[in-house]
Amino acid sequence: MKHNSQAYRQAAQVLPLSLRGEALALPEDKQGRAEELRLRVGRPMTAVFPQGELPLGTNPVTGRELEQLLELASRASVHTVADQLRRGYLTVEGGHRVGLCGTPVLRDGQIHGLGRLSSAAIRVARQVTGAAAPVERELLDAAGTLCSTLILAPPGAGKTTLLRDLIRMTSQGEGMVPQRVAVADERGEVAALWNGVPQLDVGERTDVLEGCPKAQALMMLLRAMNPQVLAADEITAPEDVAALISAAGCGVKLLATAHGSGREDLSRRPLYRQLMEAGVFERLLLIRTEKGHRSYRVEVLA
Amino acid sequence: MWKLVGAVLVAAGSGWLGLSAASGLTSRLRAVQAMIAGLELLERELWEHGTALPELLAALARRCPPPAAGFFQRCAQGCGQLDRVPFGESWRQAVAELELLSPEGQAALLPLGEVLGRYEADSQRQALEHARQALEREELRAQEERRRLGRVYQTLGLSGGAFLVILLL
Repeated sequence: MKHNSQAYRQAAQVLPLSLRGEALALPEDKQGRAEELRLRVGRPMTAVFPQGELPLGTNPVTGRELEQLLELASRASVHTVADQLRRGYLTVEGGHRVGLCGTPVLRDGQIHGLGRLSSAAIRVARQVTGAAAPVERELLDAAGTLCSTLILAPPGAGKTTLLRDLIRMTSQGEGMVPQRVAVADERGEVAALWNGVPQLDVGERTDVLEGCPKAQALMMLLRAMNPQVLAADEITAPEDVAALISAAGCGVKLLATAHGSGREDLSRRPLYRQLMEAGVFERLLLIRTEKGHRSYRVEVLA
Repeated sequence: MWKLVGAVLVAAGSGWLGLSAASGLTSRLRAVQAMIAGLELLERELWEHGTALPELLAALARRCPPPAAGFFQRCAQGCGQLDRVPFGESWRQAVAELELLSPEGQAALLPLGEVLGRYEADSQRQALEHARQALEREELRAQEERRRLGRVYQTLGLSGGAFLVILLL
């Protein structure tokens, strides 16, 4: 819990001084459980817990404070995070994510930037080291090497957390043969690069390509980094599927996640049916959450 | 004897006043030139390397001649207290401390505080270019002033001293 509250306090460092005091006034046990800090102009800042939002203080957040938050989060260097901002968020030290909302400035129909800010969400990054330990053995072949695995679960079930830990274990050779892993981290959620350094532990043999569309990133990594394992979060587009099939053809093991409830669900959807028919995955890892408890099931595909 | 010593002191003092007034004009010109060189470096680094402002300002503080070095140092320190003071405010304070710059020179720099680090590199580059052009005009004025007034101050100082000596003797 102490480690969790440290992550919360680190995330609170991007707040202007006027708001930081309110965020840090939260009791330590609550700091350890808070998932996000929410700032909306004209409303008091809130902390988000699995049970809901809790107001922090009574002072309404001002537009000026949101601008100061952006200045702090970007270290007064918006030009270094412009691409991230066009996607609506930026990653700060520690891997915490600052999501921003407001009036976008459009040029030629494309989002050029955010004009007036109206709200912000600071998502506290917490790594669950060992999250993949309960299933690790079932994902290995006879030689102790990781099999190509698709992690399947509904949104919010912990797919990215599990993927990150599997990447770390594979890269470190924790309980398996160590391998070079390349991660196509389109949204920066897996490794959370900050100044080129992963803010979340993805192992020492891991290369990360961040902010690039997955399909392109997978091909670039394959050509440039000679990986043994390729990892990507949230396969959602036909191009992603085509890239995974191409990569599998090059003899690389795959680690990926997708939204879904089970094998039947995958077979019903044309995008994933193609992926399953190509036979690129050897294991299907299903995550289920019941009454706040997470359980895993591994199915052998090939 | 004392009369002679007094006359020499008066002549030297008057000459020094003239020379220091002329040297003030040279210092002002050098300050403008140092700031132009600093802004050029800032523009190039932003455009070509996209360096973050705190690192960029610290590097400029090492590479520029005074008083630009001190100015960028002050701004780099401002980046370390963003939670208390917005960058624009630190920039304004640093500009106000650039006493060698004329009010026009300071006015050319002030708008940059609201642009640097807040927009994409292209917009920052445009603002830097405008500020640099304004400072270049200021440089021409300072050069002209030094050429025109520099000699006048020197001559006035020396001849004023000589005139007083003649009067005293």
